[in-house]
Amino acid sequence: MMRTKSALLALTIALAGTATTATLNAQDANFLLHPSPDSWPMYHGDYSGQRHSALKQITPANVKDLTLQWVFQTKASGLKSSPILYEGVLYFTIPDKIWAIDARTGHQLWQFNGTPNKAFHIGHRGVSILNGSLFYMSPDDHVICLDAKTGRVKWDVVIADYTKGVWATMAPLIVGNHVMVGVSGDFDNLQGFVKSLDPETGATQWEWDATPPVGTSRSTTGGNVWMTGTYDPELKLVYWGTGNPSPVLNGKPRPGDDLYTCSIVALDPETGKLAWAFQPSPHDTHDWDAVETPVLADGDFNGEKKKMLMQTSRNGYFFVLDRTNGKSLLTTTFGPVNWSLGVDKKGQPIPNPAKEPAPDGRIIAPDEGGLTNYRSPSFDPKLGLFLVSASPSYSLYFSKPEDGTYGWSGADYSLWSEGILEAIDYRTGKIRWSHPLSGRGGAGVMTTDSGLTFTADAVGNFMALDTSDGKTLWHSGTGGRIDTGAITYELDGKQVVLIGSDGVLLAYALPDAPERAKATTTK
Amino acid sequence: MLFASMGLAQPPAGGPANPGQTLGFPPGAGGPGGGGFGAGGAGGAGRVRSSVGSQGPLPEHQAYSKETIAAGQTLFVQQCGFCHGRDASGGESGPDLTKSQLVRTDKAGENIGQVIHNGRADKGMPSFSLPDNEVTSLVAFIHNQQDQAMSQNGNRKGVLASDLQTGNAEAGKAYFNGAGTCSTCHSATGDLAGIASRLQGLQLEQQMLMPRRAQSKVTVTAAGGKTITGTLAYHDEFMIGLTDSTGGYHSWPASSVKFKIDNPTDGHVKLLSKYSDDDIHNLLAYLQTLK
Repeated sequence: MMRTKSALLALTIALAGTATTATLNAQDANFLLHPSPDSWPMYHGDYSGQRHSALKQITPANVKDLTLQWVFQTKASGLKSSPILYEGVLYFTIPDKIWAIDARTGHQLWQFNGTPNKAFHIGHRGVSILNGSLFYMSPDDHVICLDAKTGRVKWDVVIADYTKGVWATMAPLIVGNHVMVGVSGDFDNLQGFVKSLDPETGATQWEWDATPPVGTSRSTTGGNVWMTGTYDPELKLVYWGTGNPSPVLNGKPRPGDDLYTCSIVALDPETGKLAWAFQPSPHDTHDWDAVETPVLADGDFNGEKKKMLMQTSRNGYFFVLDRTNGKSLLTTTFGPVNWSLGVDKKGQPIPNPAKEPAPDGRIIAPDEGGLTNYRSPSFDPKLGLFLVSASPSYSLYFSKPEDGTYGWSGADYSLWSEGILEAIDYRTGKIRWSHPLSGRGGAGVMTTDSGLTFTADAVGNFMALDTSDGKTLWHSGTGGRIDTGAITYELDGKQVVLIGSDGVLLAYALPDAPERAKATTTK
Repeated sequence: MLFASMGLAQPPAGGPANPGQTLGFPPGAGGPGGGGFGAGGAGGAGRVRSSVGSQGPLPEHQAYSKETIAAGQTLFVQQCGFCHGRDASGGESGPDLTKSQLVRTDKAGENIGQVIHNGRADKGMPSFSLPDNEVTSLVAFIHNQQDQAMSQNGNRKGVLASDLQTGNAEAGKAYFNGAGTCSTCHSATGDLAGIASRLQGLQLEQQMLMPRRAQSKVTVTAAGGKTITGTLAYHDEFMIGLTDSTGGYHSWPASSVKFKIDNPTDGHVKLLSKYSDDDIHNLLAYLQTLK
């Protein structure tokens, strides 16, 4: 068994070596600024976080013919990554493992197995690529640079101490000469951060801290960023959402807004300097981090052309900001929310003190899982629709003095939840259409310029919807839970839609029927 | 932040004290909520002998070796710790297993193994395909954590019945028969008679707000007008399935039939947006009188 595996590995490494020697571009960071149709070179597909593809071969009219092209079985479970595609090779992960597979056939080129470790293995979002190198974060907080051709490790640095309770899941955000990373975790009172590393050496270029140092009196900790940020090359700003404060359910030891937890922050990627911040959840006491994708789009807002940032936040609010300065353009809810007293002048919700967790319990909407969460939303700029996998929900929140001031410091119990794909008109915040998902889903959303929305329900059906009205046009039962977001690309003139279901990657495309039919008739 | 789907949420509720750390977390760093019950040195030989407080006798758990428990701990932290807490006393979305009745009645993994392999879709727990030896080591660790927790004084965890005694039973009765519309489906002398003897504290409150294991009925009218009634067994956008009175399973493409689902929790869902916190506490106080 072992011998067969290593023999195969040697063979595939040799093949990969010959196939790609000339093509991996040594100095081109431009592909990240302008991704070609035959690529999906970063977590969100491009810097905007829109997960909207310009590809139009698959349309509302022909999507009913979509058919399976190939399947890749990881023989593991729990894919939660967005594969990246570069130069015909797909790279994707689960905790401790990276695969490189041929995007045309799904056969494996190489597999990387990380060092076993005791950190949380709850999921992994994927790798990032620059100049022929992959950048991967291990659960135990290493950033590892690997040769994309072989999976060989070039450097390995530790950016945080997993024994203190933080672990890593994200695909780094690469901008120019900066590999930006952060970690996950809120079971301990720790300081959240974004770090920028040198892609050649792994040396730290800068660090931005979300909160004051641990131990600062009457001050919060927390604010880990968990997820991959977005970037505006014109404004030269990167945007990150930050995590919730700690202690999580007990706000008494950390009076005030608890900056910069539950915030959207704009940083200068060259220096890490904060340009502005907006706080979706001032003084959070419900575990509602604001790390959901900060989606960037340019367009009309109330008759003015605006550079916008949009977020459907875990706390139940949809925010539209002017991303040049962080000023609010629109704040509204996108489902049941009962914890605020309204919205302040800055467009930030005002938490209701009566809805903080209490010894005898408080009924709260949404629940701890939030009205949405890690699952990627998508923005269709043509239709002006922001699509998000929402989860209307209610829960009970408790906290009492005996629960202390460290870590969770309370308890909460979800009572009920459902799953609905919501299409929000970004100009008004009104929901244009809703599509039930048979329960709280785990899948992200991806839209295409032909007017299609690809997502999945909570029971493993991968679906294509008409983005204009939310009607189902096609579906395929995948037999596993879908906790990934679809990606799409065009290779050899064929548009492929790729989705991960449990431990399996599935590639769909339109059949070659016309050609085959032609061949038959000429015979 | 969470990754898995959500169901019942029961994060931990401990204080900063953190005895017996063995996870490699330094003293003072704390487990989730600070309740890191160490597994090391607490194997078969070191098994605790009695519980504290009013928790009843210790469960009859099979004895496992120290090595098996330690292997289970590593696996538990990696695969289960985010939801259930790295010490099994609750994390994001997953219940405190040290308080679990299912764990208490599990002798050698027969209950826990079932849940690991099948998941609990209704509560948001995914299924895990793990080899038998890994399931055994997880069972060993979970048992050990429960034994340790039951024998340990210290910071309280979770919600106690005594925490919930802030309501007014008279006001709750008025709500039951009035604004809450509970009496349109339930009766204090009928289905709810003796409810407070069967359920207490948080369990009663949760069951009151959202009944578990409530089964939906469905009537399907197939093409040709034939109707069949049963218990809803499967329903998504594309399929509907039911179990008939003989236990037989039938399913149809949802678009090819007409069907009507009667979900007994619909009324409870409607109330969620209407309750004040006082309504809930009052209603609980009233139900507690139905002994």
